Amino acid sequence: MELSFILTNAIVVAAIYGLIAVAVSITWSSLGLINLGYGFVFSFAGYCAWLMAQNVSEWPPLVAGAGILGGALAGVMICLVVFIPLHDKPNFTTRGMIGTLAISLIGSQALLMQFGPRAKALPEIFGFWQVDIGGVILTSDKIGIVVCSILMLGFVVMWMRGSRRGLEIRAMMMNPHAASIVGIGIRSTGVYVMAMTGAMAGLASVLLSQTYYVAPFSGLTPLIKGVSIALCGGLGSVQGAVIAAVILGLTEAVTSRYLGGQYVLITQFLVIILILIVRPRGISGLLDKAREQ
Amino acid sequence: MSKPILTQINWHNPLSPWGAKTTDIPTVAATDCSDVWDANTEYKAKTYKVGRLKHYVIWPNHGQRMWTRLRWWPTRRNLLHVKGLYNRKTLVAEKKILDRRPIYWAICLLLIAMGPMLFPASMYNTMLSAGTIFGIFAAINVCWTLILGAASIFSLASYAVVGVTAFVTTYASIQMGLPWFTLPILGGFLGLAMGGLIAIPALRLDGFYYALLTLGLNELCRVFFTTSKQFGSASGGLYGADSFLPASWSPEAQSLLSYYSALALLIAALFLFRFINGKRLGRILRMAPEKREAFAAACGVDYRKARVTIFIITSAALGFIGGFYATLYGGTAFSIFSFDTVLLGLAMVTIGGIGKAEGAILGTLVVTFLDKVLISWGPMRMFLIGIIMLGVVLFLNTGYFGIKKQFNAWRDKKRGEWRSMRTEKGGEALPEEATEEDDKDVLYFLRFDKMQRDYLKGLICPEIIEEHRRQPLGQHSAALERLLMYFRRAPMDDKYALHRNSATGKFKIIAFSGERGVSPRVVEDREYDSIGDGYHAIFMRRVHDLLES
Repeated sequence: MELSFILTNAIVVAAIYGLIAVAVSITWSSLGLINLGYGFVFSFAGYCAWLMAQNVSEWPPLVAGAGILGGALAGVMICLVVFIPLHDKPNFTTRGMIGTLAISLIGSQALLMQFGPRAKALPEIFGFWQVDIGGVILTSDKIGIVVCSILMLGFVVMWMRGSRRGLEIRAMMMNPHAASIVGIGIRSTGVYVMAMTGAMAGLASVLLSQTYYVAPFSGLTPLIKGVSIALCGGLGSVQGAVIAAVILGLTEAVTSRYLGGQYVLITQFLVIILILIVRPRGISGLLDKAREQ
Repeated sequence: MSKPILTQINWHNPLSPWGAKTTDIPTVAATDCSDVWDANTEYKAKTYKVGRLKHYVIWPNHGQRMWTRLRWWPTRRNLLHVKGLYNRKTLVAEKKILDRRPIYWAICLLLIAMGPMLFPASMYNTMLSAGTIFGIFAAINVCWTLILGAASIFSLASYAVVGVTAFVTTYASIQMGLPWFTLPILGGFLGLAMGGLIAIPALRLDGFYYALLTLGLNELCRVFFTTSKQFGSASGGLYGADSFLPASWSPEAQSLLSYYSALALLIAALFLFRFINGKRLGRILRMAPEKREAFAAACGVDYRKARVTIFIITSAALGFIGGFYATLYGGTAFSIFSFDTVLLGLAMVTIGGIGKAEGAILGTLVVTFLDKVLISWGPMRMFLIGIIMLGVVLFLNTGYFGIKKQFNAWRDKKRGEWRSMRTEKGGEALPEEATEEDDKDVLYFLRFDKMQRDYLKGLICPEIIEEHRRQPLGQHSAALERLLMYFRRAPMDDKYALHRNSATGKFKIIAFSGERGVSPRVVEDREYDSIGDGYHAIFMRRVHDLLES
């Protein structure tokens, strides 16, 4: 009973963090930008959803949509401020990373100044109901979170596979120079990528706010978790991120069952370090030096 | 250029004193040919009085003491890289200072040391405690910039090392009653162990994988220490370590002592920086910058070993600083692990420029001043730090101390652009062709020819053409005469001529091939009845060619 509870929890958390991990992964592999500004994107989207719920309507799709749109907006903002001016400058990778960190600092402080340090709660999107499957009780928010993340992920994967823009993004992942030679604009692709990954982070924010709250600095933990998952799965690989999210979720569940909650991070990091020592580019990272700026 | 003055150039018949009938023939007004010369030879680039000069400090010197100077005992290296020389104009013996950085360092450190005397009385205590924090953080950042810059390992776990050693030494001091002077040493050993542990993944992982991993490590430490009961999860930190500040002293004396001890720590960190970055390890790694490791490895440089060595030594130093921190404040708060600390630290290192000790110190000064002295500004100051950090990252390649290099590179680029903009083509040879031409006379001829053509183009007008049509041969006006002289002097290849099939036939225009044995080509099928018409047709062709050129 307790194990199943922890297991379902782990899956839920893995679904949310997996979204951010995939976002980090796609941004890195297509743009070469290590975006540590997702913490800000996360909080910004949360506040957008909260403002929508507060001022316009608490209708769930509207709230979630506001969160997703807010995330996309914040992503585009980061792209315009950091990626576009910097992408052809020397030391782009380092400077891009520091630039996104600076955006995260500025953004969080701006949110703090605007909304104050008090946490805000979002309305329950998925209602209150529960299902009993073979003794395992699944609450509405757990099912909703998992279904929503899978839907979003599926949509993103379909879009990347089937659309013209997705083709451009995949071309950028394989070889950015060749992509720019055959006429794929680095800047415009950057805007699409950041909007899409921002939308994913925005959805993750709305979903996580079902269990936690929206606060100026609430994006930090999801960011670090997402980054570690992306790292462990291999930057640039969606499958890898999904596998890593499942592995780390399982680690979390098993650790908190047998060792205790405070050891979760430690075992998780040991697992990550172990995986990275065996496979330095993650579980299914792009082979060797595919993405070199 | 002013409007050209038209002058009347009249032709004088040299035979007129002997009774020749024609004397002065009226001619069209034309510009003076020296105007064309002036226009072509003037320097069109905008010039400025100031050039790029490096101003060296030069001391007078007695000739016999040319080689006496202060040296770093026991080496032969001299203090300011002073060079003795004789002035090339006056032949006076002089000493030239090639490296002024030690002077600036001495002045800045002296200013920091005199700080307590310079602080305004109203902010004295705030400034003094901020100064202590500045000293410690500057020491940490100097060590960190050694890892980021010299070892090029992008580790974000430096504050984690400091925090962990501070917590553990505090705990040891409370539990085992260790005296204060053992804490930094214990911290050093702890840091060494931690550095060894963190360095293992660094051997396998590439730059940014490692950065993200260490970021996670920092978070791990934070969660571990804030949740564990031994390290005071309830009180927001662990306090109670043995402090070296004598309890009997007044608070002012205590804060003064902590200020100067932090300054001493900073100076020690600077020495560490100097002895790693400026000696063998640093030089090895300067040969193996990012993406050129393979070349360095091929030259026999074991860059991995050097990087890890620097990392471990620096981690030990960071551990020492952690122990010092514990004994200075009697403990540590959890905030040392927070993401904001890492962010601020990164801001400090970035603002001045990664990899430079002066950069780390300047950045720490700016950020500490904003963060600790201007407390009344509230969240605004963090905002400001973020803006500065973003601005530096967006506009500067390597922080504040890289501005000079970046500006010089930008100016050189602009200079090249301007130079290529004002390079004239036309009759002149391009600069790159000029270097390949052996006979430089050709270049001068081309240049002169261009000027001549410029001038002659100005002479062509309907009046001249009409004059030539009336009388192709014989006495002409001066302008027409100059034109014809130029046409007649043309080289033989493709020079126009008239051809007549028989003694009574019509005339056709042909062009010589310029090569012996190769027959001329017929230029056009049109035939001319008289030789005068033929001459005029050739003249018109040449005028056309001249205007086209």
